Amino acid sequence: MAHFDIENLTFSYPIGGKESLSGVNLSIEKGEYIVLCGKSGSGKTTLLRHFKSVLTPHGKRSGRILFNGKPLETIGQREQAAKIGFVMQNPDDQIVTDKVWHELAFGLESLGCDQKTMRLRVAEMASYFGIQGWFHRDVASLSGGQKQLLNLASIMAMQPEVLILDEPTSQLDPIAASDFLNTVRKINLELGTTIVITEHRLEDIYHAADRVVVMENGKISAEDTPRKVGALLHRQKSEMFAALPTPVRVFYESGAEGECPLTVREGRNWLTETFRDRPLSVTAPDLEPAAAETEQPALRMKEAWFRYEKESPDVLQGVSFEVPAGSLFAVVGGNGAGKSTMLKAVCGICRIYRGSVEVFGKSLKKYKSDALFHNCLAMLPQDPKSLFVKKTVREELEEMCGDAEKRAAVADVCEITALHESHPYDLSGGEQQRAALAKILLTEPRLLLLDEPTKGLDSFFKQKFAGILKKLQAEGITIVMVSHDVEFCAEYADLVSIFFDGQILTTDTPRRFFGQNSFYTTAANRMSRCVFQNAVTAQDVTALYHINREGRA
Amino acid sequence: MKSDAFGRFHPAVCFLYFVGAIGFGVVIQHPAYAAAGCIGAACYYLVLRGRAAWKRVLSLLPIFALLSVINPLFNTAGSRVLFFVFGRPYTWEALCYGMAIAAVFVVMMLWFSCYNLVMTSDKFTSLFGNLIPALSLLLVMVLRMIPSFLRKASQIQHARQSIGKSVGEGSRISEKIRHGMTVLSALTDWALEGSVVTADSMRARGYGTARRTNFQIYRMTAADWTLLVLIVLLAAAVLLAGGTAAAYTPVLSIEPLTWGFAAYCLYVLIPTALHVKEAVLWRISISKI
Amino acid sequence: MKKSALFSILVIVLLIPATLYLGSRLSGHWYYLTSTLIIVEIMIPFFLAFETRRPQARELVTIAVMAAIAAASRAVFAFIPHFKPITAIIMITGIAFGPEAGFLTGAVAAFASNFIFGQGPWTPWQMMAFGIGGFLAGLLFHNRKLTAKPLWNAVILAVYGFFSILLLVGPLLDSCTIFTMGTEITPAFVGTILLSGAPVNVTHGVSCAATMLLFSKPLLEKLERLKTKYGMMEARRDGV
Repeated sequence: MAHFDIENLTFSYPIGGKESLSGVNLSIEKGEYIVLCGKSGSGKTTLLRHFKSVLTPHGKRSGRILFNGKPLETIGQREQAAKIGFVMQNPDDQIVTDKVWHELAFGLESLGCDQKTMRLRVAEMASYFGIQGWFHRDVASLSGGQKQLLNLASIMAMQPEVLILDEPTSQLDPIAASDFLNTVRKINLELGTTIVITEHRLEDIYHAADRVVVMENGKISAEDTPRKVGALLHRQKSEMFAALPTPVRVFYESGAEGECPLTVREGRNWLTETFRDRPLSVTAPDLEPAAAETEQPALRMKEAWFRYEKESPDVLQGVSFEVPAGSLFAVVGGNGAGKSTMLKAVCGICRIYRGSVEVFGKSLKKYKSDALFHNCLAMLPQDPKSLFVKKTVREELEEMCGDAEKRAAVADVCEITALHESHPYDLSGGEQQRAALAKILLTEPRLLLLDEPTKGLDSFFKQKFAGILKKLQAEGITIVMVSHDVEFCAEYADLVSIFFDGQILTTDTPRRFFGQNSFYTTAANRMSRCVFQNAVTAQDVTALYHINREGRA
Repeated sequence: MKSDAFGRFHPAVCFLYFVGAIGFGVVIQHPAYAAAGCIGAACYYLVLRGRAAWKRVLSLLPIFALLSVINPLFNTAGSRVLFFVFGRPYTWEALCYGMAIAAVFVVMMLWFSCYNLVMTSDKFTSLFGNLIPALSLLLVMVLRMIPSFLRKASQIQHARQSIGKSVGEGSRISEKIRHGMTVLSALTDWALEGSVVTADSMRARGYGTARRTNFQIYRMTAADWTLLVLIVLLAAAVLLAGGTAAAYTPVLSIEPLTWGFAAYCLYVLIPTALHVKEAVLWRISISKI
Repeated sequence: MKKSALFSILVIVLLIPATLYLGSRLSGHWYYLTSTLIIVEIMIPFFLAFETRRPQARELVTIAVMAAIAAASRAVFAFIPHFKPITAIIMITGIAFGPEAGFLTGAVAAFASNFIFGQGPWTPWQMMAFGIGGFLAGLLFHNRKLTAKPLWNAVILAVYGFFSILLLVGPLLDSCTIFTMGTEITPAFVGTILLSGAPVNVTHGVSCAATMLLFSKPLLEKLERLKTKYGMMEARRDGV
């Protein structure tokens, strides 16, 4: 008997009329680890929400969902609450209470457990998830990764048989994300809990999956082991192929044959095998031309020092860097290192107490605040929602600029024309990001600051967003972006810097920069560095592969 | 906050103690009792806050003086007239009465200052979680939301600032109000949207499927019971012994002190005594090493 | 009749007069204790009704959000001295979700914010004052169409807000001072306290009116949108 059986499930929301799910059939065995992937709006979340009656959306529905062989709706709410765990996307909003220990116990309290059981389960969970150290803390003092781990632990305390995770790491930084996903994997291996998970970043989980299910337009378009799904998506020329882990993409785009590598290690072995005893005609892609010395940088920060309070430690400790006009400048670095603070210092939101900031050759202090944010500088905050203050996207744009033509032009660049009448909160993550971008572009900035612009975006939205950035660059706008997203920076930035311990350490072009790193670099670089040098993107590796194979032939 | 022996007892014991201390403090207007209350509460506050406490304690002195002298202006009862203000008598008895009321006020403020440091929100809610589950959950949720809303509000203000939509010091008040409303409106949108997820998360974890129980992180130990019994006995002694009545107007009539006063002194000094005891024990245990 | 309703009646008919009688009998000076007990007794039926109803998750969350917004609202206006929109937000909640929700939002907002600013003898009085503010607004305006013109509605609410603070919420807050600081409750003493509180109450009233004028319509729209989009606060009426 399968754990979950979905039979011919079709569903449409009351508004829109289009079928969000059509004829979905899926059978999940006990203890399986299933990765569900698909573009935003392909129906992943809608499908996941059908796994639990209280979360099931309202709308028209046909078909059946069986849990342990019984129709889901005949199973009591209490039993469902305990047996089917559900982790959602936003770590913050899922938390109900103000203390870590209370949140851990929340589900057990709801089920009406007695003190003895609760004590034991809470203790078990805190120990298993390594929460003892922050057991008594206020929830408000936790990092995003800790919050999401707490959500998971609170659900695991009810000892569910199935764990459903809907993009659980989209709001986390890469290190917290892989920690979280490793914990999920551990739960699956050690407790035998069935896992169904959707994710944008497949690198960390794809190889571990027993089965990968691909959704497109509300239908399941592929469903098989990771290796077979990779081959299938490549054969179908599916859009989803671009979201697969780097080794898989490199393998198929190179046109290689044999067993497809899923992890960096396998990719490394495959490349080493392929080019063993084979002279390489070209071992590295051309390095980008060194940045030309421009006469006036768009932004120059010199020896900037900043701390939030008099007694608190310095966040910026003598930051110095220059951003050449017209470039896309990326700053990478760990979480909480102070990258966002640096952007705020550029805007004057955080006032540095020593050092200087010059925007287009003029000291920040000499700008009047109106002049600085008009036709000069603008910042896209980490959470684009922070910018939304109106009922529709149209009103958001109108707030910024009275000129209808300008508005239309910017909306066109950001591809949000069709969304004008929507409420900003009804948009998907990628659309919100573009609407927010449109809003700040209406100040006609020449220097654009982006704080973690790819956070929570899937690979399609990322590509789209990169396209927009390139367009803006072509118009002469200088872009400074801070990001955790190494892959994105390697592919699209002109210059990359690393921020560590309150300082900018080095600045270089992506190939030079990532080429010399061995840990903090892209998956493509890590898997290819045994054979090639300075190949930092999947395209780089594929190109080198082709040159060397064809050179031999 | 300094290490506090009393605050580590079970919240129920602490809460009951404060109810008693504040209750007695408000009800008994006997000068000796008021003075004892002041000293007990001030000592404990000093234990809790260390040197920072002096500022607060001293700041209550002018309030005490002010309340004492103002009250006779409104209360003209009393027999010994000191002088006349606006043709109304200002009497010695009313002044004494004013001082008593002012002392009561000071005692209350001091005890509440201690209460706020000891009875943190989690202690309060865990105490009342079984009695009023829905309300205490509501309270816990509000306490969780306030800091995150404050953080979001400043994020929104920064976002407004970085697109040139903020108000400076020179802005007109109407502009400032409008700006504030915009931020408030955006904050509300964000909060309400998040509330949908929170509600889902609650229901997904079984909220509403059974009568809620309440996870007790604090347990009553033998020491808690002992202290509780002591507190109850002392309180009963104060109540039963009498000698707490004091009338000021029209004539002063203050009851003579009984052994109940000794019980009261012990009562108000419990937290300080516990602190001293602990400090001494530590000294001894360290000197043994 | 429900058990909670019966209990409420019992409280009002028996407990409060009993407290008054005992308070006046035992000594003439137990003003603060007696008055505070009565305040608490008045609030008990509200809390009890909420408790026995076993509120739905969505209802609980919505009230929590509104109470937290109300409590946090002062900080949003930190750059304008003495500008307090808290009462207006509580009143609007009452208007949107009914008197009971208004009362709870007010009482909980006051109580919760005192965990930050410090509990004191004023806590029950603030809970009562803000709670009643939300309750009355809900009683008068919940589910009631005022005029066809939204601007006029906002004006009506602003005027209402101003006067309800000046005449009800403000004096209730000041009563705490009267009972804690006075030896004898004479008309002159009460008058002096109320008069000295008047400037604060007027600015409070003005900020409430300004908030009503500018924010009542958008906030009511937001709450309405939430109701239609997610069915928030609806479950109760459906009897689910």
